[in-house]
Amino acid sequence: MNTALASTAFASDSIGSATMLLSNYVFPNDLHVHWSMMIVLYPYITGLVDGAFIIAALYYLFGVKSLRPVARFSLLFALAFLCCATLPLLLHLGRPERNFNMLLTPNPSSAMAGFGYIYAVSMGVLGFIILLVYRPVLVELRSTSQGWLKVLYRVITLDSIDVSEKALELDAKIIRFLVAIGIPVAAVLHGYVGFIFGGVKANPTWSTPLMPVIFLFSACVSGISAVILAYIVIRKLADQPIDHGCIITMVKTLTGFFILAFSFEMLEVFSHSYLKSGYHHMVEGLLNGPLASSFWFWQVKIGSVLPLLVLGIMGIFKLRSYLYNFLAAGVSGILLVQVLIMRWNVVIGGQLMSKSARGYTEFHPLWFDKEGIIAVIIVMAIPFAILFVLGKIFPFWAPENK
Amino acid sequence: MGFSYKMRLILVCLGIFVMAWVGFLFKSLLLPDSFGLYGHFRADAITEAVEVPVRHGTNSSCFKCHPFEAKIHKAGLHSTISCEFCHGPYADHVAVDKKTGTLPVKTGKQITTLCLRCHNTQIMARSEEVIKTVAMPDHLRNQQVKLTHDCNQCHHVHAPLKYINRAKQITGLMEKG
Amino acid sequence: MKLKDPLPDMQKRSFLKKVLNGTIAGSLYLVYPMNSSGFEWPEQIPGVRDAYDIHARKFAFIVDITRCIGCGSCCVADKQEYNVPDGNYRTWVERYVKGFSDQIYVDCPNGGLDGYQTPRSDIKEEIRDTFFVPKLCNMCKEAPCVQVCPVGATFTTPDGFVLVDEKRCVGCAYCIQACPYSVRFMHPRTRVVEKCTWCYHRIRKGLLPACVDVCPTGARKFGSLQDETSEVYKILKGPGVLTVLRKEMGTWPALYYKGARMEVI
Repeated sequence: MNTALASTAFASDSIGSATMLLSNYVFPNDLHVHWSMMIVLYPYITGLVDGAFIIAALYYLFGVKSLRPVARFSLLFALAFLCCATLPLLLHLGRPERNFNMLLTPNPSSAMAGFGYIYAVSMGVLGFIILLVYRPVLVELRSTSQGWLKVLYRVITLDSIDVSEKALELDAKIIRFLVAIGIPVAAVLHGYVGFIFGGVKANPTWSTPLMPVIFLFSACVSGISAVILAYIVIRKLADQPIDHGCIITMVKTLTGFFILAFSFEMLEVFSHSYLKSGYHHMVEGLLNGPLASSFWFWQVKIGSVLPLLVLGIMGIFKLRSYLYNFLAAGVSGILLVQVLIMRWNVVIGGQLMSKSARGYTEFHPLWFDKEGIIAVIIVMAIPFAILFVLGKIFPFWAPENK
Repeated sequence: MGFSYKMRLILVCLGIFVMAWVGFLFKSLLLPDSFGLYGHFRADAITEAVEVPVRHGTNSSCFKCHPFEAKIHKAGLHSTISCEFCHGPYADHVAVDKKTGTLPVKTGKQITTLCLRCHNTQIMARSEEVIKTVAMPDHLRNQQVKLTHDCNQCHHVHAPLKYINRAKQITGLMEKG
Repeated sequence: MKLKDPLPDMQKRSFLKKVLNGTIAGSLYLVYPMNSSGFEWPEQIPGVRDAYDIHARKFAFIVDITRCIGCGSCCVADKQEYNVPDGNYRTWVERYVKGFSDQIYVDCPNGGLDGYQTPRSDIKEEIRDTFFVPKLCNMCKEAPCVQVCPVGATFTTPDGFVLVDEKRCVGCAYCIQACPYSVRFMHPRTRVVEKCTWCYHRIRKGLLPACVDVCPTGARKFGSLQDETSEVYKILKGPGVLTVLRKEMGTWPALYYKGARMEVI
C-alpha cells in the first residue's frame, strides 16, 4: 500500500530537497478515510438550502422584484433539501440510533454539538415562511379542494380564511421578520459546517478561518445555480415561458457570489503556498499528488475558470434570450458539479493526508455500502421526490398576471 | 372557533414555546445518571472503565502455578520477558483459578523467528547497552554448529545462558557459582 | 554526560523482592492469598489499592526511545488485552531511519505486531541514525478529542485520563479527525470509537499497563507521581530532557518521550 502511493504522491519535484521530506509513511490508523461520501453530501445539501434561501431573501427582504417568479419555488426547493439534510449524517454515524444524544447532552465546547438546535430552528423558520407566503393561495385552494387535501389545507392555514388587507399586511411583516432571522440562521447552519472543518487543527488543509467563508460562498453558488437550473428545466418541460429578467438577476447574483467563492478558494491555496508554514509540504503534496486532477483540472479549470469565462461573456455581451438561458443552464450545471467536487476535495482530500505528515492514504468509494455510491444517489433523489410532493400541495410558480 | 387570525398566530407561537419547554423538560429527564458529576460526561463511565476485565496477567500470575519454569525464568537473562508474549494471554488459560484452555508452546523454527525479533543484529536501531544481538547465520558458523540449528538447541529459551554456563563450568572454562 | 538507566532486569528483581518481602515473606514462590473473587494480583503500582482519591491521583507515562528494541511485545500484549480488531491499533511501534541526506524513512508494518525481522531494503543512501518510536495515546491535558466530542462521550477524568464512554458515543468520528496523533479508530463491531486508555482498568487494580508490564527493556515506564520511589517520579524530578509529540498543536500531552529526535512526529 505504502510503496504503491510513493510514485503518485511525490511526482512533484517542487517539494524542496532541504525541507522536511516525505517518506510516504501513513499512521496505521490513518489508512481508513472515516468521513466519506456522506460527509461530502451533507455540506452540499445544506449549501443548496442556503443558496436557495438567499434567492428568497433577496425577494422577500431586500425587495428585488425581478426574482418574483422563483421566490416561492426557491423556498420550497430549500425545504425539500433541508428535510434531507440529516439523512447523510444518520447514514454516516456509527450508532445512528443514538443521534438524540446530540440534543440531550450537547457538549458546549464542540462545534458539532449545536447541529440539532440550529437545524430545528432553521426548519421551523423556513416552514413558517412558506406557510405565510403561501397563505392566500392556500386559502383559495382550500375552497376548491376535496378530502384529505382539504383537511391539510385547513391545518396549514391555521383554519383561518382571513385574507383581508390587514391580515396580509401582518403576514408580510412576519415574513420580513422571519426572513431576517432566516438569513443568519441559514448562514450559521452552513457556516458552522465550514467551521467543523476549519476547527480541526490536526488537519493542515482544514484548519483555516477561511473555511466557513469558503463554505458559505460556495453554498450560495450551488443553491443559486440549482434554482436557475431547476427553474429553466421545469419550465421547459412544462412548456411554460421563462422570465428572462428573472434569469438575468439570478445569473448576476450567481456571478457575484461565484467570484467571491473562487477568490477565497484560491486565496486559501495561495496563502498556504506563500506562507509555507507548518505542514505546508503536506498540502502542496496533496494538491499536486492525489488531488492533482480532481482539484486543478476538475475544480479549478473546468469547474471555475470555464464558468467564469462564460459568465463574463454573459455579462459583457448582449445575447439573445434563448442563448442566454441556454448558457445560464449550462453554467449552473457546471457550477453545481464544481461545488460537489470542491466538497469532495475538502472533505475526502483533507483526510488523504496522514497525520504522520509523511504520506497519503487512498480512498476508493464502494457501490454497496451505507455510505456508498448507490446510497449517495438515493439520498440525492429523495429531495426531488419531496419537491414533487410539495409541488402538489404548494403551487411552484406565482401566477403570471400579477 | 371564533379566534381572529392574529389570535391564531399568537396561539401557534405559544404552542411552540410550550413545546420547546416540554422538550427541555424531557431533556433534563432523559439526562443519564451521574452526568455532569465531574464534567460534561457520565461519571459512571469511569467506573465502567475500571471494570473492564484484565486479560493480560503478570509474570507472577504465571509463576504461581508453574514454579519449575518460574525458577529458571527468574534466574536467567530473560527474566524481564513476559511469559504471555510468547505463550498468549492469561485469560485464555485461566478463569477464576481454573484452567480453561491450553496455551501454545513455540517449537522449531518458530523459536528462531521469535528470538530474532529482538536479537537480529541487522536491525541497527538496537542499542548494545540494551540488548545483545547476533548476526545469522554467522553466529552458527562461529559457534561451529550446523546452520540448520534452532536457537533453543543451545540456549534455554527461558534462561539463554543456562546450558552454556553449565557447559563452561563442566569444562572448567568458568568458575561455579 | 549521559545518565545511564539501571538495568531493567535489576529493576524487576528488586521489585519482585519488594513484593516478596512486603506480602508473603519467607515463601519461595509468589503465592497470593485467595479471596472469593479469585486470584489476587501483585500490586505493581504501590498505594493505588488504598483509598483512591480520583482528584488527587496523578500518573506519568514515559517512553524511552533509546531503550526500545522494536520487539513488538507491547503491541502483542495490547492486542491480547483488548482483542483489538485487525487493522486497528491502540499502540504501535514505528521504525525511523535517517539518512545522511536528512531524509527520514519511517515504516510500521502491521503496527509492529510482528516485530521487525528484516532491515529496510529500499534505502539507497548511508544511514546516519535509526531508532524505534512506540506510539500510544498522549493523554493530552488540552485534548482536542474531548473538545470536539459533540455528546460528551470522550472526556478527561479528574485523575488525568482521556477515556471514551462507549455507551454514549454516537460514532461520528469527529474525535478521530481532531486527534493529531491518530490514536483513535472506529471499532468495526461496536461502531464506536476506541483508543488506548493507558490500561485504566489495570491501573485502578494496581497493575501496570499491559505494554509497560511486558516491555523487556524498560522502554515504557509508568508510575504514580505520589510514589517518590517510582522510576517516572525520579525521571520527572531529574534534569534529563523529556519531550512531547507535536508540541505546536497546543495539546499539552501527558506522555513524555526520552531520547526522541526532533524528526519524530
